[in-house]
Order: sequence, then C-alpha cells, then structure tokens
Amino acid sequence: MPETAVLTRGPAGEESSADEGRHHDGAGRGGRAGRRGRGERSGRAFAIVLLLIFGIGFLTPVIGVVLTSFKSNPEIAAHGLWTPSGDLTTDNYLKAWSDGNARTYLLNSFLVTVPATVISVVLGSLVGYVVAKLRPKGSGLITLFFVAGLFVPPQILLIPLFKLFNVNGLYDTLWPMIIVHGGYGISLCTLVMRNFFRSVPDELREAGLIDGAGEPRILASVILPVARPALAALATLQFTFIWNDFLYPLVFTRSDEVRTVMVGILSLQGQFSVAYGTQAAMAVLASLPTMAVFIAFQKHFIAGITSGAVKG
Amino acid sequence: MSTRRIGWATVFLAVPLIAYVAAVVGPGLYSFYYSLTDWNAVGGTATFIGLKHYRDMAGDEHFWLALKNTAIWTAVAVVVPTVVGLALALGLAQVQRMQRLIKSLFFLPLALSLVVVGQVWFWIFRPEDGLLNLVLGHVGLGSWQHSWLSDPSVAFWSVLVAWCWQQVALAMVVFLAGLTGVQQELVEACKVDGANARQRLWHVIIPALRPAFAVVVSLSMINALKSFDIVYVMTEGGPFRKTETLALLVYRTAFKTYDFGYASAVSVVLFLITLVTIGLFFAWTNREDHQNA
Repeated sequence: MPETAVLTRGPAGEESSADEGRHHDGAGRGGRAGRRGRGERSGRAFAIVLLLIFGIGFLTPVIGVVLTSFKSNPEIAAHGLWTPSGDLTTDNYLKAWSDGNARTYLLNSFLVTVPATVISVVLGSLVGYVVAKLRPKGSGLITLFFVAGLFVPPQILLIPLFKLFNVNGLYDTLWPMIIVHGGYGISLCTLVMRNFFRSVPDELREAGLIDGAGEPRILASVILPVARPALAALATLQFTFIWNDFLYPLVFTRSDEVRTVMVGILSLQGQFSVAYGTQAAMAVLASLPTMAVFIAFQKHFIAGITSGAVKG
Repeated sequence: MSTRRIGWATVFLAVPLIAYVAAVVGPGLYSFYYSLTDWNAVGGTATFIGLKHYRDMAGDEHFWLALKNTAIWTAVAVVVPTVVGLALALGLAQVQRMQRLIKSLFFLPLALSLVVVGQVWFWIFRPEDGLLNLVLGHVGLGSWQHSWLSDPSVAFWSVLVAWCWQQVALAMVVFLAGLTGVQQELVEACKVDGANARQRLWHVIIPALRPAFAVVVSLSMINALKSFDIVYVMTEGGPFRKTETLALLVYRTAFKTYDFGYASAVSVVLFLITLVTIGLFFAWTNREDHQNA
C-alpha cells in the first residue's frame, strides 16, 4: 500500500526500491504458481470459496437495507422485511426527501462535517509541524498533551459542554458539533501529522530558510504540498468520523431544523414507525456521502486508519 | 534565529491550544469537579459534597451491572474482531483476481455509521419477520428462534454481534496493511526450507504482524470502552438494563434523570478505566518489544 509507505516513511523515497521489488514479486507470482504443488492450489481455491460464502454473509446486512429501501411499504407490511420482492419503487426516497426532512438533515450534516473536518486537520497539522520540525523544548510533553485526547471517552465531556452551550446560547444550533469535533479531532490529527512530518527531511525547511522564507511561508508553500497524501488520508478519516457521529447531536440539539442526519434517522423511526422502506431509504441516503468519500479515497482512508493508529 | 523559531512555534500552537482546551481539557476537568457536587437539575446549582457519589456508586447495582457489561463487552470486542479479522485478512491476501473490488466490499461496513449498522441489525433480529428467525425457521432450527433484542438472556450478545460485525472490518483493514509489509522473500525462503503453511503462519507471519496486533487491540479496546451509539439504537440499554454499558449509564443519568453530579462521577470512572486499560496494554507491549529486541 503505497500511501501507508508515504505516511510512515515520508517522501524521501529511501524505500522506493524495496517497494518496487515487491511489485515485481507480485507480478512474478503467476509464474511461480506453476511450480507449486496441486494441493496448494486446490487449498487456495477452497479458501477463496470459503471467503466468498463468508463475504456474502458478511454483506447481507448492507444488501438487505438497500433492497428494503426499494420495496413499497404496503408490500413490506404484507410479506415482511426480508422477503424478496419483484416490484421495486423509488417512492421511499421521494418520501424520505420530502416528508422525512432528509434534505434538511443532510444539509446540516454537511454544515457540521465540512468545517469541523477542516478545523481539526488544520489545527492538528500546526501542532504536528511544531513538535516534529520546530521542536521547541518540551515537544515530547506537548505531543503527549495533545494526543492524550484519543484516550478521553466523549462521555466525560458531555455534561460540562452541555452546560457551556446552554449558558452561551449555542445549545440547539449546529455550533456545538463544529466546535467539539474541531477540538476533539486535534488529537488524532496531531498524531498522524507528527508521524508524517517526522519523515520529512529537515533539509526541506532549512532550504526554505536559506532562501529567506519565513516559517509560515515555508509551512504553506514547501511543507504542505509534500504533505498532501497525509492530509487526504486524515481528511477522509475525519469526514467519516464526524459525519457518522451520533452522540453530540443527540445531546446538543433538540429541534428538527438543526438535526444532523444520524439523529434524523432515529426521529424518522419515531415518526413513521412502520414505514420500513422509508427508514431504509433514509439510511441509504445518510450513508451515501461517506460511501462516496470512501470509494473515491479508499486508499487514503485505509492509510489514515492504519497510520493514525500506529504509535510513533 | 532560534528565538524566532520558538516564537513561531508559540504562534502556531496558540489556536490549537485554545480549541483543544475549550473542547477537551476544560470540560474533562470540569467533570471531575461536577462529580464532587450535588448538581441535579438543568438550571440548578452545584454544591460541593465531596466523594459522596463515588461512595454511592459502590452500592449501586446499576453501576455494577454496567461495569460488568462493559468489561465483557470489551473483552469480546477485542478478541473476536482480532481473530476473525486476521483470518479474513489472511484469506483476502490470497485473492489475486478482482482484489480491489473484493477488498472494497469487505471494507464497506467501516464507512457505515453505527446508527445505520444498529438499525440494520435491529431488523435482522426482529422476532416476527427478522432475517435470523426466518433463516432458522427455514433450516429447521425453529426451536433456536428468539426475541433476540428483548429476551434478557440473549439481548446483550445480539448487540455485541452487530458491534463485532463492524469491528471485524476494522481489524481486517489493519491486518491487510500489515501483511503487505511481511517480506515475501522470507515466506518463500521458509517454503523452500520445507516449512508448512501452519509453521509459516506461526513463526513468520504472525510475529511480523506484531505492530498490526498492537493497533488492532488498542483501537478495538478504546472503541469498545466508549460504545454508545449501537446500544442506544438497538436496545437503549434494555431489557432490564441488561445491555447497559457505562457510556450509556452516563447518558441516561445525565440526560434522562438530570442527575449531572452522579453522571459526572460515572464518566470519571469510565475515563479512569480507559486510561488504566490502555496504559497497561501499552506498558505490556513496550516490555515485550524490549524483551524481543
């Protein structure tokens, strides 16, 4: 996975020869298969069949919700949720969109997720850059301080924040989620970006200094362009986390107009308690943005998870 | 030169520091304080009462039940995804055709929110027309059918299955990334030396996956300890609080009964448990690393 390599080893390219070797190895596998014993090959076929069966079982929940979203509600009522159906309809989507407020919920989720993602990635990158490259005294402690947030369960933040947002009138707006995710996300972003910046050679910054550029200029036009893969990984990860969050909007909002889509799904359940098709359509709509991000940036997403978790 | 560097470091740190303190450090410290007060109404006042809540907790059966549930939940949520995720990753690494597509399909659950996951599994576990009972009926195991989410003896495990389903995908992703780092030459060399598949797995591949194991275990541990969404969506902690985790107990105590002081105390305990568990795990992996080095 080249992106992981970039994240952990940096752009210096020291390891590129090893990577190439691996690619050759992959290409050569087909040739070697001929030399392998027949037992090994049938063993592999068996493993693949097993994997396929397991895969279908594994994906049943996803397939089920997508199919249900295209079934009409009367049909579900008559034949049950999981019975396959010949008649497919898009009514559920129209209904979720118009009666179920899907449009409002999705818009709110975007209004929270995009700024909060940007804020956390930008702020985390600043901290990561300082502790990895400017290295003031106590950088280790600074890192520990900012990364420690990873081990703070969100539940311990709820009550004081609830009070704070009530006092300053932000309760039941979108601001609490933007503020909390923006701040809480700094921990993960600091960890990932510190690990990345550590792999960037110091010479890059020094060359900038010799050219007479100031620190902000170096960060913006020398370091950040190099960091693009790491930033993409992080942004993908943060987008998914924040979009999928349920706890903060549950606690910090009350009115329908400011609900994000994850809380919206539940309110839809209360509202149309037997309209399973509509609920399924809502679930699909709520999952589409993260699915799209996931498919478009899959490599980054995975690199983000694996590198973010690797302690440096 | 150097003072200028320090100056910029300070400038760069200022805004992140404010945001982090406002969103995480400050509220965290306030929870410690609130846990020592009797604050129990939305507009109410907080009077200092010392450690009373912590003493009350020792005699609160709901707290002990939630603690037990959290402990079992965490243990299972670490072991099952690690084992199944590793097996799947080893299998997937064998796939050569359409590898990208197949991998994407297996990774899909990761992009889903726990709310959606909880909802889908809620439908699978429905007693009358849920998928699980339908399948059991069809294959002649009708006697195994349950009201999976309202029967106190199985509800906890049902929710846990749904949770593990998603965590398996997470573990698999990390193991697959780790597997690409296992040197193929080494595996081939063992093959030449006559090591069979099982020996290669135990003596070459698994030791090389050590870092991946550390990541999977610590991630699943942190995730499991703060599990809230999926339980809330599937059972809200019921029946008879059989599925209530500490995270859910905090929420219920604070935002259903408005006993903010006591809820803060429970959240502090949850935080300390997380810290100690993760701390012990990191200490253990570090020691192992030193011994192996």
